[in-house]
Amino acid sequence: MNTGIYARRRFINRIFLGLSVAATAFGLGWLALILGVLVYQGFSGLDLALFMESTPPPGLTGGLLNAIVGSLFMSIVAVAVGTPIGILAGTYLAEYGRYTRLAFVLRFVNDILLSAPSIVIGLFIYEVMVVSIGHFSAWAGATALSVIVIPVVVRTTEGMLLLIPNTLREAAAALGAPRAHVIRTVTWRAAQTGMVTGVLLAVARISGETAPLLFTALNNQFFSVDPNQPMASLPVVIFQMAMSPYDDWHRLAWSGALLITMTVLVLSIIARTLESRSEQK
Amino acid sequence: MSDTVKVAINKLSFFYGQFQALKKITLPLYRNKVTAFIGPSGCGKSTLLRVLNRIYELYPRQHAEGEVLLDGVNILLPSQDLNILRAKVGMVFQKPTPFPMTIFDNIAFGLQLYEKLPRSELEARVETALRRAALWDEVKDKLNASGTSLSGGQQQRLCIARSVATKPELILLDEPCSALDPISTAKIEELIYELTNDYTIVIVTHNMQQASRVSDHTAFMYLGELVEFGLTEQIFTTPGNKRTEDYITGRFG
Amino acid sequence: MVAGPLSLDAPPQFSSAIIRRAHRRDWMFHRVTQASALAVLAIFLGIMWSLLSGAWPAMAAFGFGFLWTESWNPVREVFGAAAPIYGTLVTSAIAMAIAVPVGIGIAIFLTELCPRQLRRPIGVAVELLAGIPSIIYGIWGLFILAPFLQQNVQPWAIDAFAGIPVLEDLFAGPPYGIGIFTAGLILAIMTLPFICAITRDVFETVPPVLKEAAYGLGATTWEVLWKVVLPYARGGVVGGIMLALGRTLGETMAVTFVIGNAHRISESLFAPGTTISAAIANEFTEALGDLYVSSLIELGLILFFVTFCVLAAAQYMLYRLEQRAGGARA
Repeated sequence: MNTGIYARRRFINRIFLGLSVAATAFGLGWLALILGVLVYQGFSGLDLALFMESTPPPGLTGGLLNAIVGSLFMSIVAVAVGTPIGILAGTYLAEYGRYTRLAFVLRFVNDILLSAPSIVIGLFIYEVMVVSIGHFSAWAGATALSVIVIPVVVRTTEGMLLLIPNTLREAAAALGAPRAHVIRTVTWRAAQTGMVTGVLLAVARISGETAPLLFTALNNQFFSVDPNQPMASLPVVIFQMAMSPYDDWHRLAWSGALLITMTVLVLSIIARTLESRSEQK
Repeated sequence: MSDTVKVAINKLSFFYGQFQALKKITLPLYRNKVTAFIGPSGCGKSTLLRVLNRIYELYPRQHAEGEVLLDGVNILLPSQDLNILRAKVGMVFQKPTPFPMTIFDNIAFGLQLYEKLPRSELEARVETALRRAALWDEVKDKLNASGTSLSGGQQQRLCIARSVATKPELILLDEPCSALDPISTAKIEELIYELTNDYTIVIVTHNMQQASRVSDHTAFMYLGELVEFGLTEQIFTTPGNKRTEDYITGRFG
Repeated sequence: MVAGPLSLDAPPQFSSAIIRRAHRRDWMFHRVTQASALAVLAIFLGIMWSLLSGAWPAMAAFGFGFLWTESWNPVREVFGAAAPIYGTLVTSAIAMAIAVPVGIGIAIFLTELCPRQLRRPIGVAVELLAGIPSIIYGIWGLFILAPFLQQNVQPWAIDAFAGIPVLEDLFAGPPYGIGIFTAGLILAIMTLPFICAITRDVFETVPPVLKEAAYGLGATTWEVLWKVVLPYARGGVVGGIMLALGRTLGETMAVTFVIGNAHRISESLFAPGTTISAAIANEFTEALGDLYVSSLIELGLILFFVTFCVLAAAQYMLYRLEQRAGGARA
């Protein structure tokens, strides 16, 4: 054996493996830094007033109540609209349409929408809703968010249904059950946890979406639950406050950012736990 | 072979796309008898079974040609309603397929498809089905437990109970014991024997001993063709065909 | 074995009313799911149509010249997309140049080097971080990263590269903190977990026997990675990177905070600039005049077109990988 060549190979091996360790330290370092700063900056602002008062004018104290309520409202509407459409569409792709050309095209289009720039979705809803209605509104914001929810739910629903073994469908069909009945009572039930995971991930995804709300729901300085009017939302309020020159607005922006991050993390952790539990079964 | 014919399979061919999996099979299935399909993997025995309830129609590019007469009616006609056909023909699969619901609901699932039953009758029918599958004593105290919580052998008997509950005219068993331990297998074989009082049964198996134990008639298939069909005793003792003999004595397959 | 005499009464009769109802319900459900699936297509076509019709006035006014005109003058109503296109491409290029090697490095660490007990926690952490909304990265970039770069990194870089051709121009002052470089860096940090997660998934599709065979020949860990794992996973990794690129190109909030929103093309990476999405986010609600609005929508159209091409290519590659994996299983 030529030990010289072997030593060289080992040296190269060490170098590159060292680089990969360095990359991990580098990458995780940034991410730890971001979370650390977020907690440090945002934590002090997490008090009762944050949840009890609406956004203040510069110089006065206040909270994020209107933004929190707005985000909740629009997210709920978006999920209520997007989930059924997404589940039904995902069901079509996995069940009725599985082997058809149409489903192939729709799957492709859905995957494009899944990663399409969300600001473009904002422009789309602006064109079809804001322009035709004549003003910004929470309805428009919620619709824009639902356009983001749908592809996420379609994707996970289809994926989960494809994991269900065909013999289960055959067993139900072999009893004489019509296809729709098989899907609703057997296949859906078997895929239940996975589909709930998909919806949770969709909620996590929209809870931080800013771009599609900027020119659909716009923003609202005041507390409002009128869906025909512009409505505040956490991300848009954070954007506005962070870009302002006022220190107390900056503090509120940090607190809002921490709130959103915690929401997203909690939702993703629940989704992951559900997922791993259903995998164990 | 003077028994009455329940199903007459007539020049049946089957295609997966371009590939011909069954070549003009002609075969009778006798009423209240067990017929076993045997043969090496890929010989078409499962395919033949899957034609009998047209379950293959769930998938594209699969089609059958020829005739399958169930009580004289050709079930391959396009006019045949598939749901009704499958309600009349029960099927049990290689791996147990309990639905993700309670034991009770697993049985009730099929019962409630085409019949509106009052609660008391539904319960009676579920009990009857579970008794027939020799499962009642093991599950009567936990009917609300999930069907997936049972052991493999119990799950398979649950699936048999589920098929029996709807009172089918023909029961198809697709290697029902291949995933089970010997004790569960023995229970199921005993069960098959009991069921012949009321049902016509077809069983696909790769286990020669099992075929000889449970069946009245045996069909040996090879490469999509029916090589030999006859009384099980005769097939296993004096096979008429060299290939049948080689297979059942374990010289190939 | 069977308890009691359980005679079999007559099989159930199937009433034609029940059969018809079952068929009707089946048909209805089929159509409802199909209509929902078509809604996805309708959304896609709706986006294209609304962008095209919204951008029409600007397209009519400026033609293809829009693509290479740098001027962006709301007062004289002359608009060109060159600066935002340039900004989008350059910030994404910076992001990819940093995030791809680091992301693959982390994926290598996770699949080959990491102690088993740490593998899952780090993997989960990376996946959770991939889900953090971009606005969080944006606000952090604005308040923490930009000031830090302005005070510590940029002055040093400007001094260090002074006198070196090309680099001297790329890293020219004054140090604003915000700008193209900062935006690219934020995008890199944001894309990192995504690239890492997807690369790791692809690495895990490599059959263990392949790796074992290579180790069995006495290959070092690096040689196994470079000569066995990477070639096998290449299609998937490239597809994953394209997917990340598609998202990066259209990313709005992480960029908008720190780009500076200046419609000009500067040689220096430290200079403020803009990207397509940042320009739309910053100006859309304040845009007065139809031509201004229409020009912003045309920017959106360009963005949609470019991301569509990148994402379609990504999907094609991932699809081929799936086909191969499916073929290997069968």
